[in-house]
Amino acid sequence: MSRRESLESLESLLESFLERVVQLKEQRLSVLEGINRLDDIARQSSAGVDVTDRVGDWFAGHNRWLTDNSLRTADIERINSILSQFKDRLRPGPGSSPAEDKIHKEIDRWGQTGQKVSQTLVLKRGPEARGPVDTADKDTIALFDRKLTRLTAVFKDACHGKQHILSVAEDLLRAAKVQGNKDALILSAFVIYYLKQNGYKVEPYVKKLREAETIQGRGTLDA
Amino acid sequence: MLSGPEKAYCAALLALKQKNYGAAVEHFESAAHHYRGNREFGILLETTRLLVAVKEQLARPMNHERLDIEEVFPNG
Repeated sequence: MSRRESLESLESLLESFLERVVQLKEQRLSVLEGINRLDDIARQSSAGVDVTDRVGDWFAGHNRWLTDNSLRTADIERINSILSQFKDRLRPGPGSSPAEDKIHKEIDRWGQTGQKVSQTLVLKRGPEARGPVDTADKDTIALFDRKLTRLTAVFKDACHGKQHILSVAEDLLRAAKVQGNKDALILSAFVIYYLKQNGYKVEPYVKKLREAETIQGRGTLDA
Repeated sequence: MLSGPEKAYCAALLALKQKNYGAAVEHFESAAHHYRGNREFGILLETTRLLVAVKEQLARPMNHERLDIEEVFPNG
């Protein structure tokens, strides 16, 4: 392979990698782009430019975000923080234009969404989870990533020789109950939820899951 | 409001989407200080830098398969 061919091959590989990254981040990118655009409008507003129409256009283009779950809590907080700046500059009361009134209402609607999210997405960690491994626990994403890798391995082992996912679920539940295998417990819950989403009747499996969970919980308390 | 580096990161990703790799590198570099230690950011920056470098090499005429570098010592 000549030097030129090597470079062309490398170019193709790198472009392909970056294209796939962009594809994976498509939805996130759209959110960032939207927030960035709103931020640009806010900067224009700070400079004294009347941005009422632009904010209206922004709402028209991004209202679907309120229902399609594409926003993270931090995104909503950020958007609401920017929108509150607009709200401060809008003329309240009888002197305001219909467009300003409409934007005022939209800002309130977005603010309510932020409150809903902050009320429902508060995750708390129980004190029993605190311990000497506090520093290692900080990288929760890495820990979950490792757990996921381990669960994949457990799943592959459980699949060996099986013909159907229900048999795998049975096997995992047995391992969770009899062996006290925590990975099997988590994985079986995952499989049961998957089955439920696909229209299977999962009540008997849920019952077995609860039994295994109770047995494992008892074991933890005893230890 | 978004900080300068955040806006730059966003602009860099948009530039990648538009396959404007030179602009993407410029935006990434202006945000690099803020995202130091962010592995994903680092990978994207270095990959885009490498791609731009490769493209620059390919844009040059390649008459020689080998590059000779000669050191010159004045008065030596």
